[in-house]
Amino acid sequence: MDSDRIAEIIIAEIRSTVPELEAQPITRADSMADLGVDSIERSEIILATLEAIGVKVPMVQLHGPRNIGELADLLHAKSKA
Amino acid sequence: MPSPRPDLHSLVVTGIGVASGLGHGKDAFRAGLFEGRSVFAPLARPGRQRGDGSPPFFGVEMPDPPSILPPRVERTAGLSGRAAVAVLDEAWREAGLDHVMPERIGLIVGGSNLMAREQLLSLREYADRLDFLPPRHGHVFLDTDICGLCASQFPIRGFAHTIGAASASGAAAIVEAVEAVRSGRVDACIALGALQDVSLMDLQGFRALGALGAGPVCRPMDTGHDGFLYGEACAALVVTRSEHSAGTVYGRVLGTGFCTDGSRGPEPNSDAQVRAAQDALAAAGLVAADIDYVNGHATGTPSGDEAELATMRRLGLGHALVNATKSIIGHGLSAAGAVEAAALLIQMREGLLHPTLHLDAPLDEAFRWVRGAAQEHRIRHALKFSFGFGGTNVALVFGAPEGEAI
Repeated sequence: MDSDRIAEIIIAEIRSTVPELEAQPITRADSMADLGVDSIERSEIILATLEAIGVKVPMVQLHGPRNIGELADLLHAKSKA
Repeated sequence: MPSPRPDLHSLVVTGIGVASGLGHGKDAFRAGLFEGRSVFAPLARPGRQRGDGSPPFFGVEMPDPPSILPPRVERTAGLSGRAAVAVLDEAWREAGLDHVMPERIGLIVGGSNLMAREQLLSLREYADRLDFLPPRHGHVFLDTDICGLCASQFPIRGFAHTIGAASASGAAAIVEAVEAVRSGRVDACIALGALQDVSLMDLQGFRALGALGAGPVCRPMDTGHDGFLYGEACAALVVTRSEHSAGTVYGRVLGTGFCTDGSRGPEPNSDAQVRAAQDALAAAGLVAADIDYVNGHATGTPSGDEAELATMRRLGLGHALVNATKSIIGHGLSAAGAVEAAALLIQMREGLLHPTLHLDAPLDEAFRWVRGAAQEHRIRHALKFSFGFGGTNVALVFGAPEGEAI
């Protein structure tokens, strides 16, 4: 599964967790904070994505990314590890 | 005996929201009560079936609460939370609480262990993949999440907390709301009897205790009674001083009695029930002869019904009309005291008493049971009983809104 596919999963989880963003265009360049996703929702979105791609990573290792694309890249790298 | 508290007489209930198996809102509640519509059925919500082919648990389940929360919040709120917000919204509007300063409004949520069914479902869903348990589970399982949910959606900034008194929790919330307003801590306090969302485990526990009836209906105070049937319910009552009332005045809260009897388990205690009633009457400055209507706790368990009848005999309430709301909507557990107080106040307002269903052969024919059909009656002073496992005994005395202070 490549980084773009992981980003699609993240974006789908964002829309599911924050239904108010259902119709809003979301790209790899957006950050969850800028979209108004709160910290608990962010954790929920990441956990759901991890489960979808079959990866277990401690949340503490996932604080660096500044946008969805960087998060997808990081998860992609973890999935290869 | 407590000394009379004349300042209690200025406390009124000005807003009511209610949800039960009869539907959402007071109109559905009122219509179903007075029609005496029986809504008992096998419990169908996930998490309430034994799954081994044995007979189902009977009881009452409500329609889904109206969707009034933002979708983002609603998806994280369970049935208890959504029902709480719905009844609070109805009570809030009716009482005109937008005109009260948020810092002068309090909320007391009556109930504990409110979300057992959802915890059971979560355990089933995540037992094999705990690493992916959504983090919201770290806070939404708390009963106080209902306080937070309500205060996040309504401008309640005085206080918000829970009070647990088993099946008397809703009535205990009314007692505490009265105290909070009477003390001057707030100008308005919402007493919310929360929906106790029971699981299969809770129901089986009640059955094992011998407290739960087999169904298909519940027969409080009837010789054919065999236990209570669970009923999903939730109600909010706004207690305020009469000078702060902006809307409907349903009735006055004249006196409360709230005592413990030293028992740990489910066994009722008539001595303490009498004491609670005497405390409430004394606080109201009334005697039993002044009471013209009793809304019983009346669960339909053999020992509970017998103890309550003994209590009413000892108090000398044979002249009063009596009915049992649980015969229609089942036993709301934590919500029951608040929902039944709502039923009492709605009957007071309508001048009509709802029938007690399935009361074909009363345990004691000497009492003036309301049965068969609704009965006209202008309530002047009413007594409400509410008892809980663990030795909790609550009595509330309400007076008609137009009554003179005594």
